[in-house]
Amino acid sequence: MRRASLLLLATVLLAGCATTREMRVRHLPDDLPQAQRAAAIERAERLAALRAGAENGAAAPSDAAGVPVPPVTPADAPSMRTHDPFERINRFTYRVNARFDEGVFLPVANGYRRLPRPVRSGVHNFFGNLGEIGNTLNFTLQGRPGHGLRSLGRFAVNTTLGIGGLFDVAKKFRLTHAPTGFGTTLAKWGMRPGPYLVLPLIGPSTLRDTVGLGGDFGLAYAADPGGFYRTSRNSWMFGVANSVDLRAAIDFRYYETGSAFEYDTIRFLYMRQRLLEDEKLRGEGADLPRSTGVPAGQ
Amino acid sequence: MTRARSLAVPCRAVVHALALLLALLAGHAAAQVAVVPQSSGPATGLADSAALRATVFGVPPEQLAEGPERVPVLEIEMRMPWARPLPRVLWFNERLRVWFSPQPGEAPLAVVIAGTGADGNTGNMRLLRAALHGAGYHVLTLPSPTHPGFISAASSTGVAGDLRQDGEDLYRAVVRLVAKLPDAPRIRHVDVLGYSLGGVNAGTLKLIDAREGKLGIRRALMINPPVSLFRSIGRLDRLFAEAIGPADSGVERLYQQLYAELANLYRVSSAVQVDEAFLYGAAASVLRTDAEFSAAIALNFRLALANMFFAGDLYAKTGAVVDARDPPGPGDRLEATYVTLRGKTFADYFDEVFAPYYLARRPGATRASLVDDNRLDVFGDALRDSPDCYVQTNRDDLILDATDLAWLERSFAGRIAVYDHGGHLGNIGSREQVADMLAMLEGRWNGGGR
Repeated sequence: MRRASLLLLATVLLAGCATTREMRVRHLPDDLPQAQRAAAIERAERLAALRAGAENGAAAPSDAAGVPVPPVTPADAPSMRTHDPFERINRFTYRVNARFDEGVFLPVANGYRRLPRPVRSGVHNFFGNLGEIGNTLNFTLQGRPGHGLRSLGRFAVNTTLGIGGLFDVAKKFRLTHAPTGFGTTLAKWGMRPGPYLVLPLIGPSTLRDTVGLGGDFGLAYAADPGGFYRTSRNSWMFGVANSVDLRAAIDFRYYETGSAFEYDTIRFLYMRQRLLEDEKLRGEGADLPRSTGVPAGQ
Repeated sequence: MTRARSLAVPCRAVVHALALLLALLAGHAAAQVAVVPQSSGPATGLADSAALRATVFGVPPEQLAEGPERVPVLEIEMRMPWARPLPRVLWFNERLRVWFSPQPGEAPLAVVIAGTGADGNTGNMRLLRAALHGAGYHVLTLPSPTHPGFISAASSTGVAGDLRQDGEDLYRAVVRLVAKLPDAPRIRHVDVLGYSLGGVNAGTLKLIDAREGKLGIRRALMINPPVSLFRSIGRLDRLFAEAIGPADSGVERLYQQLYAELANLYRVSSAVQVDEAFLYGAAASVLRTDAEFSAAIALNFRLALANMFFAGDLYAKTGAVVDARDPPGPGDRLEATYVTLRGKTFADYFDEVFAPYYLARRPGATRASLVDDNRLDVFGDALRDSPDCYVQTNRDDLILDATDLAWLERSFAGRIAVYDHGGHLGNIGSREQVADMLAMLEGRWNGGGR
């Protein structure tokens, strides 16, 4: 079984990629202009409905006790600089990750992308469903019972009606997928992001998100739902399938910008994304100090 | 084995981060957002509201031309032997990366060149690729000669922005690529087109081919081309100055304002993550005023310039932002350099990198001659006289002034479509633009009654 899987992996890896020193040719997933156009129209319609709703009665955010929270002002914005004391190591890791992605991860993901859509969505839903256990726990720890119940509901519905999580039936009941993690729980508990880190094989993170990752990791390992993470003899295969599925869903290519400043750009954006997410937690009453006047994360 | 689980978080973060970049800084992620926000700010004087909005948001999806169901895409990376030695900090740009969509049988080949600083796989490129492939072309899309990937992998000077030099390098690259396309597709003939600066590059390719004859280019189409590079970049510098102000404080202020707006929007939204879905919606709400549209457009050009400037300075060893004797390596901090570069205008690039480099290498050249060499209305006489060279542009394109537009209309009479609206590139992919483009390339365009 193991040998067969490795063989399959190697085939997928080599499929659609011809390389010489001189040139390299790679088959990318087809462009789907009609589907993309339809998706854009649908998105626009959803957006229009959303805006109409927001204009009719956008409630100012208030904390748990119902006290309105003051809005974020430009003066609250963190510095454009990012706290990155390990920059030299981080840049090295970023390069290693880029090479790994180029040589292994992306070719495998591109092979996976050629599988029929129902197969891929089954795999995607399956892993997403397993993740709902952690989501439920983390939302509860964050004091957001509403979100927690939704995750729990999704898990219950999809595990049963969705045949072990292969189908996202819950979406039809308006229980949409909304993942979270222990990193966000730590933020809710008042932990600052800390310095920017680039993790091997994984990518951009912060000290807080790295600890959070460890937490999510430990939970999955300890809970070991269905034996997929620890006890099954082929649990390594589930791990590989999970990561390939995740990579295939992401339209990112290292160094496609061709820019020497790509590291700086990604660092800026990752940090700002996490800081924006912190603003919502602050709005919900988290006692999370802002780092104004110093590099973001410090 | 739980390692895989953890891959979710950061990869997702990266892609969302990129979406954020696009939404905030370039407005490209916002392209195809149909909800056109209400305008409430003052116009900048360079373009009206509608032009700015079209430039940022592009064609509303329901007005896009019908495309084919699917388009196959090959990514080709090829080494170009005339490229200059690769600086260590640009190690990843060893080979030129282009994209090719083949037809099963014999077909014409459309070569498409991207605009300033863009690669060959942008949103605009995908729209053009879909239209052309759907109409039966093999399609080869290339980055702009001002994209850092092209500068490193295929420029013989490393100093981008000279139409003639960029054209020669581009021509050599296309000849080499066409000769080595995978599975040797059967090519009936070659047409070239491009948008923005890429339009002028396409015109240059046609001129060079008339001399060299290696490709047998039949027709050329320039979409939203500049007429004088230096007049157009002057307008973009002014747009930046008016919409953002001095780079160091202006960019910071813009960022703080967008951050606050995004944060407040995110707080009232039901989203629990700053993800793509949220950002798509946010882009339409956060970018509202003419000042904000102008800022997004100006910043987008400025960041493209930063890359071009950095590479040019590195190759030309002019020492403007990089110590020529001790250039940065791949592990070095670049934040300070990047901040400096954000303050550099197109005019600074001309003064500090471009002119010093080319004046030293072209006997008899003067600053005025360098400027004139980069004017379509000076070097483009042959294009004007060629019956096979077409133009599509907009009356409200913000890189053209009245003189430029009048020159285009006069010179390409009968071979130019001038649309009333669209700003800069804001109608690429629309039914009208696509129908005219295909008619022009097939030589059956009758002036559209204009």
